[in-house]
Order: sequence, then structure tokens, then C-alpha cells
Amino acid sequence: MIRRVLPHGLGRGLLTRRPGTRRGGFSLDWDGKVSEIKKKIKSILPGRSCDLLQDTSHLPPEHSDVVIVGGGVLGLSVAYWLKKLESGRNAIRVLVVERDHTYSQASTGLSVGGICQQFSLPENIQLSLFSASFLRNINEYLAVVDAPPLDLQFNPSGYLLLASEKDAAAMESKVKVQRQEGAKVSLMSPDQLRNKFPWINTEGVALASYGMENEGWFDPWCLLQGLRRKVQSLGVLFCQGEVTRFVSSSQHMLTTDDKAVVLKRIHEVHVQMDHSLEYQPVECAIVINAAGAWSAQIAALAGIGEGPPGTLQGTKLPVEPRKRYVYVWHCPQGPGLETPLVADTSGAYFRREGLGSNYLGGRSPTEQEEPDPANLEVDHDFFQDKVQSAWAGYYDYNTFDQNGVVGPHPLVVNMYFATGFSGHGLQQAPGVGRAVAEMILKGRFQTIDLSPFLFTRFYLGEKIQENIII
Amino acid sequence: MLKLIIPTIMLLPLTWLSKKHMIWINTTTHSLIISPIPLLFFNQTNNNLLTYSLSFSSDPLTTPLLMLTTWLLPLMIMASQHHLYNEPLLRKKLYLSMLIILQISLIMTFTATELMMFYILFETTLIPTLIIITRWGNQPERLNAGSYFLFYTLVGSLPLLIALIHTHNTLGSLNIMLLNLSSQNLTDSWSNNLMWLAYMMAFMVKMPLYGLHLWLPKAHVEAPIAGSMVLAAVLLKLGGYGMMRLTLILSPLTKHMAYPFLMLSLWGMIMTSSICLRQTDLKSLIAYSSVSHMALVIAAILIQTPWSFTGAIVLMIAHGLTSSLLFCLANSNYERTHSRIMILSRGLQTLFPLMAFWWLMANLANLALPPTINLLGELFVLMASFSWANTTIMLTGLNMLITALYSLYMFIMTQRGMLTHHIKNMKPSLTRENMLMLMHLFPLLLLSINPNIITGFTP
Repeated sequence: MIRRVLPHGLGRGLLTRRPGTRRGGFSLDWDGKVSEIKKKIKSILPGRSCDLLQDTSHLPPEHSDVVIVGGGVLGLSVAYWLKKLESGRNAIRVLVVERDHTYSQASTGLSVGGICQQFSLPENIQLSLFSASFLRNINEYLAVVDAPPLDLQFNPSGYLLLASEKDAAAMESKVKVQRQEGAKVSLMSPDQLRNKFPWINTEGVALASYGMENEGWFDPWCLLQGLRRKVQSLGVLFCQGEVTRFVSSSQHMLTTDDKAVVLKRIHEVHVQMDHSLEYQPVECAIVINAAGAWSAQIAALAGIGEGPPGTLQGTKLPVEPRKRYVYVWHCPQGPGLETPLVADTSGAYFRREGLGSNYLGGRSPTEQEEPDPANLEVDHDFFQDKVQSAWAGYYDYNTFDQNGVVGPHPLVVNMYFATGFSGHGLQQAPGVGRAVAEMILKGRFQTIDLSPFLFTRFYLGEKIQENIII
Repeated sequence: MLKLIIPTIMLLPLTWLSKKHMIWINTTTHSLIISPIPLLFFNQTNNNLLTYSLSFSSDPLTTPLLMLTTWLLPLMIMASQHHLYNEPLLRKKLYLSMLIILQISLIMTFTATELMMFYILFETTLIPTLIIITRWGNQPERLNAGSYFLFYTLVGSLPLLIALIHTHNTLGSLNIMLLNLSSQNLTDSWSNNLMWLAYMMAFMVKMPLYGLHLWLPKAHVEAPIAGSMVLAAVLLKLGGYGMMRLTLILSPLTKHMAYPFLMLSLWGMIMTSSICLRQTDLKSLIAYSSVSHMALVIAAILIQTPWSFTGAIVLMIAHGLTSSLLFCLANSNYERTHSRIMILSRGLQTLFPLMAFWWLMANLANLALPPTINLLGELFVLMASFSWANTTIMLTGLNMLITALYSLYMFIMTQRGMLTHHIKNMKPSLTRENMLMLMHLFPLLLLSINPNIITGFTP
């Protein structure tokens, strides 16, 4: 009896517990508990965000004035210009939502990286010219204190487009437009071609246009990282997540000729976290669709295209992902270092890659041969020869007229597009970003007028077509 | 005074027993019916305190503030209708109960005759305000804002409790009427100076004084509209009212103790006005403009001449109405665009011409355009501070200039300019919103015809 009464020391029964322990034990995981308490105390101190109830540091903020869906080069360019053109520091809160932080499927990282001004639309030429000057002065635009300058590895070798007999007249008129806009392009006959590039086979070539300045290729990954770094230093918030829902409010109004129209305004964006059901509703004033190849999904979430076909409500965003292959091969006796990016009469193109006689290139497939865009697997049979390596990337292909969509949607009034560039988004990104930022802050395009690129052209049927795309 | 307090208390069962579709109508109408009751206390024929009871009374200092408080409750209820639309009924009733409890405490604070009761109710007003800011605010920063608000005010007012108890022990009573008669000539000793500080710091934090104003922009920006309205219009005036009551028992220490605070408020009003010029967030701009106006009031109360007291009271009433009106206008913007940034909502005059008129009147009143009572208050304070020290005219004159600058800046940024595409579909102005603005502006303009009633103790 006495032994059972003794509280501690010798002879523990099954029901007695050691002093200092409780079920579940506060002394277990002591370090974890201490760090949690320290975190809670730090969050009360001024200057920190208050996360007393639950830790929400991985979620985006509850409110952001502008939400940019898509963190590729177009989305980051819009974020950069919004911050650059705002009137005061930290005036607008911008949030960039990117689904994949490794950018494994994004068009930017997988791009060939070329920039050229040889388009037929003056707006495209102006955009590329501005981008060229942006890239040339990139270390003034994207300078961050104490960070190393960017090395874009810009190869100013130019573009050489070859035209057959039937396309020669079109090419001449194109070059005239380009020269009017300020691009420096020269026309070459087959003899001049053979003179300048002795390795070229001019069979079937009637005329060639060669860009002499502001054309070439660069490292798109470097531009992306530079933009990302700068934009983060300007105060833009990044968040990894997927946009799953837009909460909007509609208003039924009448046009001047008494037709009923429903105007929508998105006021909340639901961002869902990776591999989880947790989502954060972000209250926003403006949404920018820069989701690249997946822009149509985002547009469908906002209700664009739900309506009888042929009406403005029923006009969908005609951007879809198209897979394009790029192959790398080795050619020891190939053309030299001055080789431009050559695009053949059939649409095949190649350029020099590095200094070890490697070349990369590809060709846009015809409509029948379109590869399945479900994944980025490479079809090696598409290329008829031996390759060293290959990769595939998506074009955010605009099935309507293969040119970008920029600007607001007429019915969903606070969704702005910056997508659908069908392969030349990278080279036009700085110009497009500035145009969208001007549209948001000032109400109209100020520097480059991109009104032919507005969404309404899909409804009105006005195609603005380029003659050749690579 | 019970004829005012009991109906306000009875608003609580009214809220809880109303049916779902009658809740807004009932509360708004009944608070509107209660609001003219303080009109009975105006026009007192002599300056002696007209006592209605032993515990509550109203004199020419209290009555304008009381009128402001009771007039503001129906306005707050009208302004909250939109953002509470989707909440369940229980939460709507809770919100209204918080507003009504706040109203009861405010009425009792302003009419309290005993300084201890004043203090208790002064602290009581903090609790419903804190609940409104932290529970119904919009951003996660509101928890931070709520803590700042609570702790600044509490830490400022705890010394006040000790000083009040000490005075009760020395003088025997804290009744305001008796304090008028028993003047204690405080000697200039360390402990008396500390007591002066203890008395005044609570109200300095509340006003707020420039160095202690950190809680105000946070609280205003994070609070929902009714919270912002009551904070700007009434709670800040509690500080001014308390200071004016307590300077009776603190003479003659004020003559030398007031110097640092006068300097801080004169300098602070220019600083906060300049900050307004660089603000991008609309609500933050209006919050800083509140600090600037209240700094003038602090300076006026510390100078302690009859004209400066008049200027202080008039400025408090004018600022209460104007600031509340500006917050309502900013809220009508926020409800439509879901963003408080000024550059994202420009050119609104073409969309909402009538609202542009209210914006214009609010901004003109803010910059003290004659003949509004804003100008009356500022002029009186200007003249009093000039007679106190000639060089203050440079600071106060500069402040008037900068006030005009940022008020017009606010107007031009929101109303003029190019309409951007994402603003083009906005719901037209609701009658409720126009009514709200009119009910703010109407007393303001009427008072400019007869400001005698709010000039306080001077005839």
C-alpha cells in the first residue's frame, strides 16, 4: 500500500506519468514549438504581415489592383511597363500569377529567340523596332541595384528571307513598307546572294530580303530572368497558382440603337494552389490575359464566347496551342559566323547555334501535318535527317489571322489581352507590354497604335494578315 | 438627456427584432427620427450650463458635437448597405448593433458631466470601433491596423485615468460644473507637469497629433465605410472635446507646457498636407488630410483664447461633415472598381455628372472655400495663432495653400482626365448614394448661413 502511495522515484505504476510530460508532450518537438512561438511574436511586431490565425504566406494577397494571368515574357513585360508608367511609386498593386515556376512548357523559354522587322504590317514593324532598341539598351531599362548586368547574347546577324518567282512582287512591296517604317532591309538578287553567301543554293529563288540592322537572335531565357528580377525589385508580387475562376458582376444595358447587351466586370480571381484544393480569392480591378498558349481557357473562364455564334457574345478567343519542333544538327563544313537566320521559300528556316558548327531550325507544318499539341514530345520523323537533339514548344497560335490580340474585350470590360502572337510574341513583348500599360493607365495607345489588334476584329471579321510566318 | 439616450438604446431591440426586409428601413428611419433631438439643446439664452440631469447635460460645446454624432448614424447605416449585402442576416444585425452601441457610448461621452464617466465611456467607444475595423474590414492588414489603433489609444489614455483619480482626490469632485468654479492654481513642479502630460496625451493620440498619428492612416484605410465615417467624423473630435474640457483645470501650466505640442502640430499640418500630394490611394489621402485639419484644431485648443476655441469647435464640425462626405465618395468609387487607387479611376465626370458635383462641393469645402464653415474655423484659428505669435502665419498660410493643392489634385485626378476602358461600365449612381452625399452637404451649407449655433461659448 505504501509503495503505491509513493508519488515518484522508485516503482512507477502504469498510470503515473513523469513530471513535465503531458499526453502529446509539450517537450516533444521543443524546437519546432519555440520557432512557432517566435514566428508569432515576430508577426505582431510592426512592419510584418499579421498571420496570427493561419500562415498564409504561400497564398497570394487578398487584394491586388491588377492581376496578370501568365508569367511569361508578355506578362512580365506588361507588369514592367505598368510599374514604369505609373505616376507614383507603388501606386498600383500588381500580381503575376504563374502556374509553372519552372517555365517548362512556356513558349518563352523554348523559343528560338529571333527578332526581325520583316513584316508586312506597319504595326508589327514598329513593335519589333521598339523591341530592338529595348534590347539594345536593356541594361538601362532593367537595371537593378547591385545586380550584374544582363548579357542577352544578341547575335545581330539579321534575317534572310528567300522568295520564289510568284512571291517576289509581294516581297518587294513588303520591303517598301518596312523601309517606310524605318527598318533597314535590303533586297538582293540571286547573283548578289551568291556573292555574299557562297554556300547558298539559289535554285528557285527570285529575290531575297536581308535585314541589316536590329535583326538577329538572342537568349530569351536571359530576357525573362532580367524582366523577372527588375519587376520584383519594382514591387510586383509573384504567386504560383492556377486561375480557376473569375467572379464577375454583370449589368444589362441598352446600346444607342436599343439592342440589349450584357457588360461584365471581373471583380475577383480565384487562384488555386498547386496540388491542393486551397484557393485564394483575389479582389482585383483589372485582369490581364497573358497566358500564351492557354489564353483561350482563361477567356472561357471569363465567359468570353458563351453565346450564339456570330454575335459579339459568341465570339471566342481564337488562340490555341500549336506545337512546333526545333531540331539541332551538326554540320562541320557549314556556313560561317555571319550567317543570318535563313528562311527558305518553303517556310523552312535555320540559324547558327553557338560556335561549334551546330545549326538549329525547323519548319511550320502545313494544316494537314499539324502535330498534336497535347504534349511536347518531339516527332523525329518530321525531320528527314540525323539530328543531334530537338525540342518542341507551343505557339499561342491565333487561328484567325496569326497576329496578336491586344487591348480590352468589349464586353468583359476589365479583361485586357496580350496574347496570340503566333510565334513572334517574344520579339514584340516590350512594345506590346508598353501598349497595354498605356491602354490601362491612359485610356488609349499613345506610342504605337495597336488598334488593328483589338479583339473586336474577330467579330467584325477584319483579318490583318501577315504574308509569311516562320 | 434620457430623451436621447433611451431611444438610441431601444434601437438595439429594433435591430434584432426586425424582419429581414425591414432591417435597413427600420434602423435608418428611427435613427433619423432621433437625430433632431439635439436641436433642442441649441439656442440657449444664457451661457450658463443648462442642466438636464445630474449625470448628463449639454452646453454650447457639447451640443454641436452631439448633433454631429446623431446626424451621422443614419448616414452610416445608409452607407453600409452595399458591402453588407451578401452577408447573412445575423452578421448584418451584429454590425448594426456595433454601430448602435458605439452611438450610445458616444452620446453618453459627449454629455457626461462627471469626468470619470467621460473617461469610462471614452474607453468604451474603442471596443465597437475595434470590432468593426477588424471583423468587417477588407484587407488582411486590418488586424495590424486594429492593433495599432487599440494600443496607441489605450497607452495614451491609461495615464489619464491615474491623473483623473488624483484630481478627484485633491479637488473632491470631477463634475465639470464644479471644476469651472474651483480653480486650482497648479504650481510649476515636475509632478504637476507630468500630470499635465498625463491628461493631454490621451487626447493628443486621439486627435491625432503629428508624431502620434501612425494609427490613423492604417485604421482609416482598412476600416469599412461606416468605420471610416465614424472615425473621421466623431472619434477624432472626442480628443478635441476632452482637451477643451480639461484645460479648465490645468491652467496655468498650459502656457509653457503647450509649446512642444504647438510646434508639432504646426509643423505636422504642413507635413501631412504635403504627404497628401504624393498619395496614390484615395482613402489614405483623405486620412492624411484629416490629420492635417486636426493639427489645426490642436493648435487652436492649446492657444486658449475665446476666438481660437470658437475656431476649434467650428473646424471640428466642418471637418466632421466634410471628411465623412469624402470617405463616402471614395467608397462609392471603391464599390464599383474594387480598387482604391486614384489613377485607375479617372474621368468620372463624364459617367457620373451628379456625383461629380458632390465631389466638387466636397473638395471645395475641404480647401476651405468661403463662405463655408470650414473657412470660418480656419480663419479664426489663423487669426488666433497670429496674435499668439506673428510668424505662425507663414506656416498656417502655407498649409492653406497646400490644402487647396491636394484637394484640387484629388478632384482632378478622379473626375477629369481620360476615361479608361475598364471603367466604362459602372452601375449608375444609386439614389441612396446621392441622398447620402446630399445629407452630408446640406447641414454644411446651411451652417454657413448661421454659424452662430456652433461657435461655442463666445456669443
